[in-house]
Order: sequence, then structure tokens, then C-alpha cells
Amino acid sequence: MICMNVISRQFFGPSIGFHSEVAKFAVVISTFMGISYAARKGRHISMSAIYDTVPWRIRKAMAILIPLVTALILFALTYVSFEYVVNEYERGTTTAYLGMPTYLMYLFIPLGFFMGGIQFVRNLFVNIVNKEVYIGTDALDYNDNKPEDRHIDDQMQV
Amino acid sequence: ACGGDTDEEEADNGGEDTGDNTEETTDDGSGEEASGDFEEQEWIFITEETGEQVQMAYADEFAKRIDEKSGGNITVETYEFGGLGSETDQVVQLQEGTAQLAVTSPGFIGNTVKESQIFGLHFLFPESVEETQQVLNESEAINVDLVEQYEEVGLEPLAFWTEGAMQWTSNKPLAAPADFENFKMRTQGSELQNESYGAYGANPDGYSWGELYTALENGTMDGQENPIFFIADASFHEVQDYMTLSNHNNYVATTTVNQEWYDGLGEAERALVDETVEELQSWVFDEQKRQNEEFLSVIEETTEIVEISEEDREEFKELAMPVRDFYRENISTVDGAILDKLEQEIEEITGE
Amino acid sequence: MLTILLGIMVILLLLNFPMMIPLIVAPFVVVLLGYTKFPIDSSVMVGQLVTGIESYQLLCVPLFIFAADIMTAGKTSQRLLDFIGSFIGHLRGGYAVTTAAACSLFGAISGSTQATVVAIGKPMRERLLKVGYKDSSAMALIINSSDVALLIPPSIGLIMYGLVSGESIGELFIAGIIPGLIVFLAFTLYSVIYAKVKNIPLSDKATWKERFYSFRRALFPLGFPILVIGGIYLGWFSATEAAGISVLYALILEVVIFRAVHIKQLPSIALSTGLVTSAVFVLVAGGQVFTYLVNLEKIPQMLSDAVLGSDPSTMYVLLIVTIFFFVGCMFVDPIVVILVLTPIFAPIASEVGVDPIHLGIVITFQAALGSATPPFGVDIFTASAVFNKPYMEVIKGTPPYILIMVLISVLLILFPQISLALL
Ligand code: NA
Ligand code: NA
Repeated sequence: MICMNVISRQFFGPSIGFHSEVAKFAVVISTFMGISYAARKGRHISMSAIYDTVPWRIRKAMAILIPLVTALILFALTYVSFEYVVNEYERGTTTAYLGMPTYLMYLFIPLGFFMGGIQFVRNLFVNIVNKEVYIGTDALDYNDNKPEDRHIDDQMQV
Repeated sequence: ACGGDTDEEEADNGGEDTGDNTEETTDDGSGEEASGDFEEQEWIFITEETGEQVQMAYADEFAKRIDEKSGGNITVETYEFGGLGSETDQVVQLQEGTAQLAVTSPGFIGNTVKESQIFGLHFLFPESVEETQQVLNESEAINVDLVEQYEEVGLEPLAFWTEGAMQWTSNKPLAAPADFENFKMRTQGSELQNESYGAYGANPDGYSWGELYTALENGTMDGQENPIFFIADASFHEVQDYMTLSNHNNYVATTTVNQEWYDGLGEAERALVDETVEELQSWVFDEQKRQNEEFLSVIEETTEIVEISEEDREEFKELAMPVRDFYRENISTVDGAILDKLEQEIEEITGE
Repeated sequence: MLTILLGIMVILLLLNFPMMIPLIVAPFVVVLLGYTKFPIDSSVMVGQLVTGIESYQLLCVPLFIFAADIMTAGKTSQRLLDFIGSFIGHLRGGYAVTTAAACSLFGAISGSTQATVVAIGKPMRERLLKVGYKDSSAMALIINSSDVALLIPPSIGLIMYGLVSGESIGELFIAGIIPGLIVFLAFTLYSVIYAKVKNIPLSDKATWKERFYSFRRALFPLGFPILVIGGIYLGWFSATEAAGISVLYALILEVVIFRAVHIKQLPSIALSTGLVTSAVFVLVAGGQVFTYLVNLEKIPQMLSDAVLGSDPSTMYVLLIVTIFFFVGCMFVDPIVVILVLTPIFAPIASEVGVDPIHLGIVITFQAALGSATPPFGVDIFTASAVFNKPYMEVIKGTPPYILIMVLISVLLILFPQISLALL
């Protein structure tokens, strides 16, 4: 992701085909690879209003159930998107400028979903093993922090 | 694949009696084939254009005729560019059979069917749009050899037709190759296009379509190429001082269908598709002519029209010749065999 | 089908699933269960994930966020505050006006409402409390003024609309200027009246020497919006290029000139930007899958026939759009609302002749309004986290601002010129 920033920073100026292809690869890779990292940090954007107001017990149950279902969904998406990659490989499409096989780029979708799925399984386990509620393996639920210990980044959305 | 001469004759006849007799013809069609013959079904038809641009006009006319001829049993849903994703998505959906029919052009399908980029070569086809359409109808190189290239990736081209000649718009007159010196030319970004404009000494750039208007307005880009109706639709003439009637090539569209779907159609349905596509060859020729003429008069109001002299055209053509070798070596998957054949056929038709 | 599609989405959303899940899953479920008119090979939809994020213009999102993050970590906001404060701080309601002005200015630099709440809201709230404002009204002022960031370019909301609708982001930015200024002026007027009514004491007037000093200190930050907005307006650069220049400017400002951000901090700022960016981009990717299905099934056409009747008026359509986006943004993150509702409503609006740029402004305005409106407006939660204040306290002061925003909404619908005049 830093990479993407560095790369994209070098690319303002007229968008030559080469640039936009590299930029597209970079965006796709960092977006899908970012799924697991954001999951680890508990930074996926979600609508937490109800979650924030329910009692601890229900919250704990949700913190187990949601990663479980999310992981299963991500594994299913891994399968479907891998199918697409195989088809893309068979179609043999290449990019216009670099002549790079496009399936290489699409490969990062199942990879990203799969790693995301693994991370949600880890989020699930950390909630089963520990007494506290975690929204990511690296992030305790902000509802259980004392307000003064909360980090603003935990709440930052765009 | 389409046959040669018969197409052309029918196209000519069709051309003469479009207008008054169209209805009569279609009535005959639906009369012969009872609507009960067709099972109820819906087909998806995607194009690369929007609104009432030539490709959408074609698709909508196709849908209308199919609806009439099938007694309303077959519905063709038409989709504008962008409705079902990017150009890549469109090709993929056609290949996978999610969409049954599409209008494709080299700019969109050139990475899937490399050989289709042949239509991008400059000064290969005749200067006259009529003659170009004649080549598209009659050429064996196109209707047999090139078709095979599509079939290899699961696509079946049913007809090739022109959307009109490509023209240059610019902020300084482009009348001779020397005018291209250091000229920032917007292309769709393919290697062949960049090579083509590089040959004139220009700086080609695959500038993104979405920002092109602004780029032309403030001189980030000096010029671009497109058929007249497209230029007017995008209002490029508002921000460009000149339009050169370069006719350097034609925007060639291909009515393409999913091969598996086409082969699996019942005989009556396939005949219906074939017949309609054939009728539309002359219809769409008139349609593109109408649009291009209509919009030329719109553009003329604000933009100076530049014509290329015979000598300058020869000079352009000479500079463009090496690009054909580039095509043979770097683009073609059959070592230029189709191009060789096409060159001969064009010579025969134009008598040059 | 639309009911099932939206139903699945809303249920998963309310259950606190990461928002990418409802966006991606709902279309797949609908397709797999065969609720679509056409048989669709679900794997074809995977291609849409990439289509959603392949636009070159999208690159301006991480760049603007990165620039905002650098400036939030640095001194830009402080200097802007000092500058505005020294000129108008002593007037009736001066601090409130300063807040509104600083939020607008910082909003003009950063694309993000939340960044504005943090950068301006934190220091201003203390000053407001000191001169006698009630906490609830101080927070309401901050939340709503920060929303101007969503209208005044650069704006993530406008970028998202531009991406989904295919409209020029540069033009949208320019169209956002006047509505943003109107909101700022309305808030200023309200602040002055409020201060008079509540009899907020006046503070000391700054000397001209102090003013000159603070002006000099704020010179570089002030040059920033002029460069970005002016550059886009004059056609010097596109939105993406402007974003790149923003980053460069922020770096020079905070790292080289102010020395407020150390080079060593940049990787962690970039990482945080990257994290936010990929969380947003996954949504954009998923949003395209949803858009695809909406287009394939021709839902806009279906809706415009069924709901709007055969000959709906422009006003009626804009009113419907306004209500849907406002209500949507009251509950869900504005980015998601724009991703989901734009493909449904933009074709309908364009059919009755609404200018797509104007529509973008109306939609983004509702996103700004909705996200500051209870029950679930995201800004309220940000403020509650930033200021460590309970939810109820944060929302108590918001009604007057919401009323002002609703009135401006009406103006915006009635007079498209407000957004189109500068184009
Ligand atoms: Na902004
Ligand atoms: Na907001």
C-alpha cells in the first residue's frame, strides 16, 4: 500500500498508456491485498450503530458470528474469482500497452479474498480464545476501551 | 462467414429502397415465418457507443426488426457502452455467452483478436467510404481468414461495416506530415496507433477518454482522431480549431456473436439473425452517412475544415507503409498473411 | 428482484458486516438464486470488481487523503485558525465564524470531512468553550461546518459520484464551490445571530501587527486551495494531477518549511492512508458488481416507469433523489450510498433533463447533510469519538444546522444555476 502511494505519486502528469496500466495493476493488487490487512486492524468500514449499542454479551456473539460468516463468504468468493482467473488465462488476453497477460492481475483477487478469509478466521479465534471483544487481531473493540485511551484512528473513516 | 458478391448486390438493392419499402419488407418477413415458430427468449446485445450513435442505432434497429419478425417472441435488450462494465468486460461477457450479440471494434477487441487491428492501419483502405464498405463486403481476407481469427476465441463475426472515415481534429492545421512534428496526438493507447502517429513525427499518447475534452481545451493534448459523428457527439469541435478530412482509415465495426450460442440456435432463429444482419448492412451504411453528413455541417459552423492535397496524401501513405511491416512483425499472429491478401484485394477493387 | 437485492444488503449492513460483504454478496446471491431476468455466469461478475477500480481518476482518492493526513499531522490547521481568528475573532460570534471559515478552508484543502473534524474541530472546540459556548452547540457547529469539506473541492463524495456516473471530476469540483460558499455564509449568519441572542461575550481584538504576522504564517496554507481549485478551474490540471500536486505541496509545507512532520513519520502516515484507501477501494470494487446487476436488469428504466409515472417533472425526480440520498446517508456511510443509489437514479434524472453535474452536487449535498443527521450519520460518531462525548450530547445542538441545510437543499433544487454558474 505504501508502494501504491509511492508509485501513484510518480504518475501525475499526462496519463500515458504505460502509466495507467502500471497504476491499474498497483491499485488492483493493493486493494485486494489490503482486505486482510484492514481486517487485522479492524479497519473495514462497517455500519456499527446497532453493534455499538447492544449489550456486551450480544456484541461478543456478533464478534464471533460475523468473522465466521465473512470468512466463509470470502472463501466462496475465492473460488468464484479463481474460476474467472482460469477463464481469463484460457482467453489469453493481454494488456494493450505492456502486452502483459491480464490473468496475472486478476490472480490477486482470489489471493486477496483468500488471505482476507484467513484473517477473518484469525479474528474469529482471537474472540473465542480471549475474554475481550476484538474487532481485528490487532484491534480491541473500541467500545471496551476507556474513552481517553481511544485512538482517533480507530474511528476514522473517510 | 458471409459470401462475397451476393452480399454486395443485396446491399446495393437495399440501399436504394430504404425508407419507403422498409416496412413492406419486414412485413413480408414476419408473414413467412409464423411467430409461433419462435420460443420466447431474450437476447443481450452490447455496443461500444451510447445514445443514438451509430452502433446503438444499429442495435436498436436490430432489436426492432427481430421483435417484429418474431411476432414479439424474441426480445433483444440493447446496452450502451459502460452499462455492463468496461470494454474488457464486454468482450468477456460475449466470449462467456452472458451476452449473445455485440458490436465490436479493434479499439475494444484488438487485445483479444490481435488481427482485428488491421483496420487501424492508416491509408490502407480506399479513401472513399463507399469503396471501403465494398471491400468489407467482398474481401475474402476479411470474411474468411480474419473471421477464423475471431472463431479461435469463441466469437463469430457476422458482418463488417464502416461507421465512417476517421478524421483528425486539432488546434493547428494538419494538412501535411510535417504538421505532425512534436504534435501531441491522443490515441486509444494501442501499440499500433502509437507507431502510426510516431511515423509522422507526432507524440502519441493514450490519454484517458474521460479527461480528453479538458485536455484538448487547455492544450494538454493537441488533437485526436474519430469519425465525424463521434467528434460532434463529444463536442470536441467546440475546443478544437481545425478538423482535417483525413480519411486515413475507417472506424470498422463488427457485428459479433457468441459462437456457441450461434451454433446452438435453431435453424429458424439463425436464419432470422442472418437475414436481419444482412438487411442492416445497407441500412447502417446509410445511417452512418446520414449522421456523418449531418454532423459535418454542425462542425463546420465553429471549426475550420482542412483538406489534404493529393501529394500530401501520397506522402502520408509513404510514411505509413513501414507501419504495415510493424503490423506484420509485431501484431499479426499469421505473419501478415491476411494483410498481404487484403492489400491485393483492395488493389483489385480500386484498380490502383 | 430489487427488493431482495436491497433487502439482503440492508440486513447484512445492519448486522455490522464489513460493508464490502453486503455490496458483493447481495448481487451474487441474487444471481445464484436465479432472480435475474437473464441467466448470468456468476464468475463474469468478478471482472466487474476490477472494472470498479481501474479508472485512472480514482488515483486522486489516496493522494488527497494522503495530503490531508500529512496536514492533519502538521501545523497547517493551526496556522489557518490563528489567521482567521486574528481578523474576526473579536467580532460578535467571531469564534463561531472562525470555526466555520476554518472548516471550509481546511475542507477546501482536504477531501475528507473526518480529517476536518479532527484537524479544526479539536482546537476550535476548546476556544469556543472558553468564550462561553455550550458544548453541544460547539460540537454541532464543528460537525456541520466540516461537512462543507464534502462540497468544496476536493471532495471524496464528488469523486465517488464522478466515478460512478462517468462525469468529469474537475467540473464537479468547480460546481461545488458556490454551494459550499452558501453553506458557509449561512452558518456564519447563524453564528452571528446566535452569539447576539445568547449574548456571548466579545474577545480582544488583535492588533494589525498580530494580524500581519498571522497572515504571513498562514500564507502557504492559504495558497493551497487557490492553487488546487484555481488550477482545476483554469484547466491547468486534472483532478488526479491536482491531487498529486496537493501531496507535493503538503510535503513541502509540513516537512520542509514548517518542519512539523518528520520524514520518519511519513511511512506510518502513508500506511494509514493506504489502509483507508484500500478499505474504500474494496467498496468501490464491490459497488461496481452491484451497478452491473442494476444495469443488466435495466432497473432504472423499470423504476422510472413504475414509480415515477410516464411523464415525471424534473422537480419531482430531484425531490425523490434528495429524499433517497438524505435518508440513505442518515443510516449508511455516504460513499456506499453514492455507490449504490447513483447507478439507479442518475439514468432516471438524466432522462427528465437534470444536468448530471447538478445532480452530483444535489446528491453530495444530501450526503453531507445525511451524514451529520441522527440517528447514524457517520460524522456524529466521529465527533463522539474525537471529543469523548456521549452520542446524545453531540446531536443536541444539530437541529438548527440541519434546518439551514434543508433550506439550502430546497434552493439547490429550485435553482440549478447555483451549481452550474461557474462552469
Ligand atoms: Na473538500
Ligand atoms: Na459527511
